[in-house]
Amino acid sequence: MMIMERIVNWARLKSPWILHFNSGACNACDIEIVAALTPRYDLERFGILLKGTPRHADILLCSGPVTLQIEDRLIRIYEQMAEPKFVVAVGTCACSGGVFQGCYNVLSGIDKAIPVSAYIPGCPASPKAIIDGVVKLLASLEEKGEKEARVVENE
Amino acid sequence: MHNAHEHEFKIPVGPQHPSLKEPENFSVALKGERILGVDIRLGYNHRGIEKAAEERTYVQDVYLIERVCGICSHAHSTAFVQAVEEIAKLQVPRRALYIRSIIGELERIHSHFLWLGVAGHEIGFDTLLMYTWRDREVVMDLLAQITGNRVNYGMNTIGGVRRDISDEQRKDILKGIDRLEERAKYYIKLALEETTIIKRLSGVGVVSHDDAIRLGAVGPTARASEVDRDVRRDDPYAAYAEISFNVITDDHNDVYGRTIVRLKELLESVKMLRQLLSGLPEGPIAIRVARKIPAGEALSRYEAPRGEDVHYVKSNGTEKPERVKIRAPTLANIQAVKHMLRDRYLADLPIVIAAIDPCFSCTDRLIAVDHLDSHKKEVMKWEDLRRYSIDWHKERGFDFSKLGAKLKG
Amino acid sequence: MSNEEGTRAEIINKLNIAEDKISILRPRRISCEVEYSDFAEAFKALTADLKFNVLCAITGLDEADRLSVIYHLAKDDGTVLNLKTSVEKNNPVIQTITTFFSSAEVYERELVDLFGFKVEGLPEGNRYPLTDDWPKDEHPLRKDWKPKQ
Repeated sequence: MMIMERIVNWARLKSPWILHFNSGACNACDIEIVAALTPRYDLERFGILLKGTPRHADILLCSGPVTLQIEDRLIRIYEQMAEPKFVVAVGTCACSGGVFQGCYNVLSGIDKAIPVSAYIPGCPASPKAIIDGVVKLLASLEEKGEKEARVVENE
Repeated sequence: MHNAHEHEFKIPVGPQHPSLKEPENFSVALKGERILGVDIRLGYNHRGIEKAAEERTYVQDVYLIERVCGICSHAHSTAFVQAVEEIAKLQVPRRALYIRSIIGELERIHSHFLWLGVAGHEIGFDTLLMYTWRDREVVMDLLAQITGNRVNYGMNTIGGVRRDISDEQRKDILKGIDRLEERAKYYIKLALEETTIIKRLSGVGVVSHDDAIRLGAVGPTARASEVDRDVRRDDPYAAYAEISFNVITDDHNDVYGRTIVRLKELLESVKMLRQLLSGLPEGPIAIRVARKIPAGEALSRYEAPRGEDVHYVKSNGTEKPERVKIRAPTLANIQAVKHMLRDRYLADLPIVIAAIDPCFSCTDRLIAVDHLDSHKKEVMKWEDLRRYSIDWHKERGFDFSKLGAKLKG
Repeated sequence: MSNEEGTRAEIINKLNIAEDKISILRPRRISCEVEYSDFAEAFKALTADLKFNVLCAITGLDEADRLSVIYHLAKDDGTVLNLKTSVEKNNPVIQTITTFFSSAEVYERELVDLFGFKVEGLPEGNRYPLTDDWPKDEHPLRKDWKPKQ
């Protein structure tokens, strides 16, 4: 309950906006991210909104193991985001390459291209895990101060 | 056919950097607002799966190939194991074949509800996205209950399936599909009666029957042009030869037709599920298989929600395949898309692409627009094009916010 | 006589293929192999006369000193023919079949990128599926190609 109150406060103060990016994933994590926004899970009750442009985003929710085709675009999008900005690797592929680790044409994880603040494993990561991970990231920002936030492995 | 509006039109563009080398997914040549031609560039989710499949064992490959596409993962995994089982001349137990078909039809239901929501989002009908994805949670729960996961079910193994369906689960599925059938009927009624939907989707993405065949279109995209092809009936696999069902075709030849086909396929899937569940044979769910598969080859076809999925496997007597070739359905529909967009408005692009239910997983597609009249070139993001398309259609009377308020259920 | 037995007989007759070069794998599945010099005529006969009107896929294979291609063709009755042919690896030139099936374009581009085939008659276009800056002589699906780690 303490975490919930901190989130509500944080959301009131900041209302974090999210950009969703698929770096070559199989789509499983992406449909679970979208599901997290639909009525049953309703990420929006935390004041979290999905935005279409990096310029307005606080948090980049990124799926996929990063294919070579998409690497530059991912870096570009990260650079376009204003500070403070945070990257959440959604799904095992985004964390480590997952089942595609070692495949030619993939980097095997988001942190091979850009800095990652939070890792949400799962194949795919379920909507509950995604919400849990994002909420934990926000809570840790509140606690530790924005620049040092780093959350690894939600349970 | 010039007018002032064409010259005043501005497309919002992201910042350009000299070192920017992100190839655009779509390149469009415009004359005024009309598309003269489309160039489609894919490869964004090329991960090197076929190579990896040669370097892993057959069992490891079942897990890998399930992840070709997360939306039709069971399609890919079934197509693969079917090919291997054929090479090894295995008699897969009938109960396993029925369970595979049950999961396959549940997957089709989740995929078609998903598609409805995505299509709604593309035309500015976000309420439809919320309603259909909420309905979809019924089938997601069923899949999670039976398989242990909402997506990527891990049901298949070589020689059968890994989990059984209990009698309790059988009853839950039957109850769940009653609800899904009710919702599908509601959306069909909506699609048949609401003039905003009919007008918005009609005459868009047109492919004639002959062109659909000539261009090699598959799945609901082809069936909406009266191409009467469905692998479940024409080249039966799993349990499909033992149940009766209709192949849904439509003669609108456009996005509206593709919508009707998918909606009616939902009802057909429910009918199939009732037969599969009531006729579920007793017996084992898998047979033991040696790790080494004798040398041979097999071509496996599966009717995925998006269309014909083709897997070719060649074995060499070891525990790793010699070659695995996968032709996912979206690749077969690409030529048709180019055809659909020619001489259409730029504002049609989002829903036309969405209507083939594309499985090139890249949500942030880039569109390069070459304005031939003004010699202006720019790059649009998908989100910008979607907004442009929604606003363009709003100017012409399409406003889905009112329809959203009317949605029931 | 089953469908595929009938079709097999028709193919042997029309294409002049030796009995041992064409086999029935199981109901609705036939495999056959032709020399590349006979390919064009065989393909025309199969699609025009023998009613193989669907191109399911094109599979490339690395087979030691040869590169092989299998064209998977289907008929309305569900029969699929795996039509295999091969060319020398040091000069792997084949003709496009896009005049028969326009959907073949992207499948043939895969053969070019992943195996190094040269497909004559393929229209101008973007490569698929590799990046533009992928080295020209590296073909990932060749057996001797390993990713650099």
